[in-house]
Order: sequence, then structure tokens, then C-alpha cells
Amino acid sequence: MPGGKGAASRKLTARSGVAGLALAGSVVGLACAAEALERLAGQDQAIADQPGTAPMFEVDPFWPRPLPNHWILGSTVGVGVDSRDHVYIIHRGASTLDGRTEMGAATDPPTGECCVPAPQVLEFDPEGNLVNSWGGDGEEYRWPSSNHGIAVDGVDNIWIGGNGPGDSQVLKFTRDGRFLAAYGLPDQDASSTSTEHFGRPAKISFDNQAQEAYVADGYRNHRVAVVDMNSGDIVRYWGAYGNEPSDENMGPYDPDAPLVQQFRTPVHCAEPTHDGFVYVCDRPNDRIQVFRKDGTYVTERRIAPMTLGDGSTWDIAFSADPEQTYMYLADGKNMKVYILDRASLEVLTSFGDGGRQPGLFFAVHSIATDSQGNIYTTETYEGKRVQKFIYRGIGEIPAANQGAPWPAGEIGG
Amino acid sequence: MQKRNLLIASGLAVSVIALACASEALDDMASNGGGETAPMFQVDPFWPKPLPNHWILGATIGVDVDSRDHVWIVHRNTPDQFMANQEIGAAQDPPLSECCVPAPPVLEFDPDGNLVNSWGGPSETGDYDWPGSNHGITIDHMDNVWIGGNGTTDAGIDRHIVKFSRDGQFLAQYGEPGADPTSSSMENFGRVAKIFVDPAENEAYIADGYINQRVAVLDASSGEMKRMWGAYGNTPTDERPPRYEPGETPPQQFRTPVHCAELSNDGLLYVCDRPSNRISVFQPDGTFVTEHIIAPQTRSQGSTWDIDFSPDDEQTYLYLADGQNMKVYVILRETMETLYSFGDGGRQPGLFFAVHSIAVDSQGNIYTTETYEGTRVQKFTYMGMGPVPAGDMGAPWPEDRRRSN
Repeated sequence: MPGGKGAASRKLTARSGVAGLALAGSVVGLACAAEALERLAGQDQAIADQPGTAPMFEVDPFWPRPLPNHWILGSTVGVGVDSRDHVYIIHRGASTLDGRTEMGAATDPPTGECCVPAPQVLEFDPEGNLVNSWGGDGEEYRWPSSNHGIAVDGVDNIWIGGNGPGDSQVLKFTRDGRFLAAYGLPDQDASSTSTEHFGRPAKISFDNQAQEAYVADGYRNHRVAVVDMNSGDIVRYWGAYGNEPSDENMGPYDPDAPLVQQFRTPVHCAEPTHDGFVYVCDRPNDRIQVFRKDGTYVTERRIAPMTLGDGSTWDIAFSADPEQTYMYLADGKNMKVYILDRASLEVLTSFGDGGRQPGLFFAVHSIATDSQGNIYTTETYEGKRVQKFIYRGIGEIPAANQGAPWPAGEIGG
Repeated sequence: MQKRNLLIASGLAVSVIALACASEALDDMASNGGGETAPMFQVDPFWPKPLPNHWILGATIGVDVDSRDHVWIVHRNTPDQFMANQEIGAAQDPPLSECCVPAPPVLEFDPDGNLVNSWGGPSETGDYDWPGSNHGITIDHMDNVWIGGNGTTDAGIDRHIVKFSRDGQFLAQYGEPGADPTSSSMENFGRVAKIFVDPAENEAYIADGYINQRVAVLDASSGEMKRMWGAYGNTPTDERPPRYEPGETPPQQFRTPVHCAELSNDGLLYVCDRPSNRISVFQPDGTFVTEHIIAPQTRSQGSTWDIDFSPDDEQTYLYLADGQNMKVYVILRETMETLYSFGDGGRQPGLFFAVHSIAVDSQGNIYTTETYEGTRVQKFTYMGMGPVPAGDMGAPWPEDRRRSN
């Protein structure tokens, strides 16, 4: 691991992190690829400097159980858990599957016994049995052109967004797929100040007590929008730092440039907590911004700030304890999940790496926790799966990055 | 294919012990050849161990096992095999992310799944032509490594085979890349899919291939082509049979790709005529013996992708990888009856996306690789003999974790 544990790397820790990295960036602004890689790799070195404890996880390679009917998943872009710890996923089906090599049983004539795109919403019980499946266009609504995000509210209704062309609405269903409501209309080229429509919403989360839904809006818009869960009215919205959101194109993220005053797109998650904060994934900016529920800016934390392109902050879930002590952050660009102490926003450790084996990832996109503290993730692009990580209690942090969280004894040697 | 090598290696004390343990299970295999029981397998989700250096695999299109039960795979590691920004961000300039980087094309694992060596790729000195598209890997009885190819480079179409020592030192190239391969060439091949080396006769059987429509047999030391044949032992032509139709009279020529050619201990060569869903069986001199059609409703890429045998002396069972139907068949070799199959489509352990290649170690374990976006190697642990499951068993998971409904 480059960087060591000396004073220089300590300087990159904690609350001095933003200033420290900006300084480091100006020194090595023209770093060659190798140096840049070292900077990338050293981003969470600080974790190892402070031994401590954190929640521990172990991948379950046999969850969920195999799908029936030769069904397979396309890019899997959302996961949510209901009050019964049933796990819902949403994927993109045939639009992300190859007809010749992958969907032989769905062609005319069929070219093989396998495979067929599964319905786009799948519900699993805690044991991983598929218990329901649904999704697609209906008479009363138009299904998104590109599925994105699935969330379960306090009464087990299912909300989905969409990031394809014309996806300017949010849809709400009962948990068995009966249509309840559409908020916003499709095909609206609305702006980040619209009070009627959305702009390719990435994900929805809930303050069930206040009956408000937080919409990460989105792939087109640059804002958080808060919606009355019963009427669908947009009751308030804001941009980065609580600013009025603007649709100005800020160009690509530059790790060494001053932090921008707006969110870049996609705004990929907006997660309210029990204690009244909202954590927002400003994905291409590699940052989490924290707000009060009224949109008052609190603080921000840069995560793996050398990350370019898709960015590092993809989705957030909280630990199952009432205090929501820990925050789990999916990073589909660096192919891992970070475990943060929520109060300090310190990264304690991370797990995962690139690969197709259990506990590895190709673009981990979405994350959710159940009441037992287990984590579920889904992978987009060609990852195309849901994985379960069993909560193993609080333990000594073994490493800055744990790699594949396999059972003890499977990795050594 | 490595049984003979194992016997050769048995002078080593460690190998003797391993052989003793294996032989008991393998005796079971041989004595239960009546078709009432079959070898059973369970996927090992934690084999191999995670790769170092944020390495990932591309389309993984070859696997073999050497005399020490080391497992070798070859995959396609060129940038065009990956999503540049989304998948190999760490290989961009500047790097976008900590992960990932394409692994070297040839990877060697020990039996515990530890990566012990890696090499491969175009020659820096020009002394060989690395294939434009890697295809198939075979470890011969001298532990030399043979690789085919089904692509194109600036030098032309892959019409050649390359041979290396086990540590990646170049040994020989047979054939040259170039234009317009023909099934009658004595010098070049036509996008070779896979190689089998017969240690007794020191001959290499070439599944040739993606353009040519033949089996070619070489002197394994000189590379000199000794004989060749097409379907039914006919002189191979380059005339393309019509597209496969279920119920057809099988064509008198192989379709492309000819995807495997595997010699058994009792002197039968099993050839994968993939798009014809056909396994053609020959004597080593090319005399036609018989043929079997597998999953005849299969179209497109076909059902017969790759073959290996159980490691008992009798090679009682034949394991067939079917990348179109996403499963592995367990076949009683004597009758060519399919006893059952395992697998299905999916990304979880024990499921497949286009299972492409298959190999067996001395303990009876099966290894598979997956092409396209499967991009992995999987191990299926031999669990001994058991009652024949009905039809498709699906994912070969521990019993208590399989689908309950």
C-alpha cells in the first residue's frame, strides 16, 4: 500500500481532508498516470491509521436462490427492503441483454433453452426465495424508458424513478404491483426549478413520519426535490450547499479545481435519517453533502476524490440500529462499499474489489439494509446481480480495504 | 486429459498420496458405470481466490489442468474486451479509479486457487505472433502450453498456434497469420479453437476451427501436419453447409467452429461440431466411428462447445459444456446417454453465461470458463457418486440452499 502511515498521509485524514487534498492536488497537478494511481490508492489510507471497530460483513454466495423459468437479470439498478425484510430489486431486462448470446429462449424461434429476461421488479423473501415479480407499462401510467432506483416506503408501497429519455416522473405501486400514482408527467423537459416534473430521477427515499419523499433528481436535474408522499406535490428543493439549483453545465469534474457550488449530474441519492439529516450523493463530484431536512447545508465529505468519470458516491444506506450509527456507501467506480461512522463521516473500512466472484463487484450501483443489519447490493452494466452481505456483528477493523468479504479461511494462503 | 501425466508424476511422494486418495473415489466412478448413479458436483463459490492488483478477466475462453493439478486459463485481455470507463478505469490515462486493470492473458492457479503465475501477450521481440483473439489453452505432457486463436491482427487472420514453456518462454509457432485460410492447407490453420496433445504418440489434435472445417493432426514436436479430415472422415472442404435446422440430415462437412477434438484413453477422438449440435467420434487415423446429436433444438451457436473426461482409467464419463443452453452435461461415455446436467443462465455461482471451456483434474473436479460477459472460471468439486438427478439439476449448490419451490 503506497503512502505508509506517516505524518504525510495523516494529513489527508478527517476534517483537514478537503484542504489537504486541494493542496496536494496543486503540487501534482500534472501527475503521470502512475502517480495518479498512487494517489487513488492512498485515498483511504487514513483508515488504517486508527485501529478501531466497525460492523463486519460476509458475502452469502447462495442468496438469492436461482431464478425460475431460465430468467436472468439485466443491469440491476435498484434495491429496497420492506417492513417484512423482503428485498425488492429493479433491473433493465432485455434492453441490457444480448439477443444472440444471452436471451436464446426469448428469440423467435428460440435458439436455446436459456435465457429469458426476468420481469423488471423482483421480490425475494429473507431466505432468498422469489415470491413475486411484476413491472412494465400499464394503461394508467407509462413505465420508465430506463429503470432507475426502487424504494419501499413506510406502508410498503414501491416507488421507482427512471433515467431514460422522457423519464420526468416518479411512479408509485403497491408492493404487489398495483398502480397507485404517478407524480410528474413523462416527456417533460422540466428544469431544476420545476415544481411539477422531475429530470430523470435516480432514487427516492422517505421520511415516513413527515410523510415526505426525497427525490435524488437526478440525471438531468441538479437538485434534491422533496415531495408530499400523499399528494405528490413538490414542496421544496435545493442544490449544492442549499443554493438555488441551476442547470448550468459545469463540465467534467477536476479533483484539483475549487469545489463547485452546484451538484453535477447525476444527483444519485438523497437519504434522510431518523435524526433529521439528509445525505446526498453528488456522484461525479465524489462527495456527500449533508443537509437538514429544510435544505440547510450542514457539511460535506469528499470520498476518493481522485475518482474521475462516474464518480465515487453512488448510493447510501444506514445501519439498522435506531441511531443509524454507520453509513454504507456504494462506489461503483472503485468497485467497493465503504463503511463510515455517520457522526464523523470518517471512512472506517471498505470491502469489495473488481470481479465476478461473490463479494466482488462490477459497478455496485445500489445498496440497502434490512432490519437484521444485512446489506444488499445490486450491480449495473454487466454486473447484473443482487448480492447479500450477512452482518457479522461489530469487530476489529482488519484492513483499510478488506477485499472480498469471504468466510474466514477462504482467503488466506 | 491428464491421467497419464499423473501416472508419470507418481514417483513423487506427495503425488502418490494424492493419487491414493483420488483412486478410491475414481474406482467408485468406474464401478458405477451402469447409469444408475453418476458423478455429483457442487460449485465452490470461493475458488479461485481473488486476483491481486485489481486485475479482472475478460471473456475467458480456455481452461486446462496440468500434471500438478494446477489450473490454467486464458482470457481476452485487450482493451476492446472491456468497457473502458466503467470497467477498467484504472487502466486509463489518467486513471479514473482504483479499479480495474485487465489481468495478463494466461493465469496459473494452484489447486487451492492461489494465483501462482501470469504471463502472455504480444512478443516484444517479434519472435512469435500472439493471436488476435485468444482461444483455447492446453497443457501437454511436458507441461508446455499451447494456445490457439480466432481473431485477426495487422499480420492477418489467426492461422497459427503458439507454444510456450509453463513459465511463458516462447518455444514454437506452427503456422503464420495471413489471408484466406483453407481446410486443405498443410502449413496453416484457420482460427484454431482448441488443441489436444496425445502423449503416447506425441501428436497434437487441432480443432480447426473458426474458418477451417477440419481436424488436423500434428507431430507435437516438429509441428508438421500428418493428417486431417472433415465430418465422417471426408476430405475437408471449405464449402459451408446450410444453416442448422432441427431434424436435418447431418451435413457431410463440419460447420464452423469445429470447437474441440479430445482423444480418450481407449483411442476415440471426440470432435465438437458446435453449430451442428454434434459430437463426431473417430479413430485416431480419422476413421469415422459414430456421431451423437445433443440438444437438437438448439440453434445459433450450437450445443457442443467443449469436452473433457472423468479421470478414472476408463474415462467412464464425458462432460460437455453447452454455452448456448448454459449448462454442463454429464454423459455416460459408453452409450453417450446424457445422465443429467447442471447449471442454468445467471451470474451466481454454479450458473453460467456461455460456459465455453471445461477441464477435469486428477481428483475429478471440474473447471469451467465463461466467455462474453461471463468472464470467470468456476470450480465444481467432485462429491462422489450419487443417484442420477432427474434431468437438469440447476445450480449445483449445497442441498439446503437450492431452490425450494
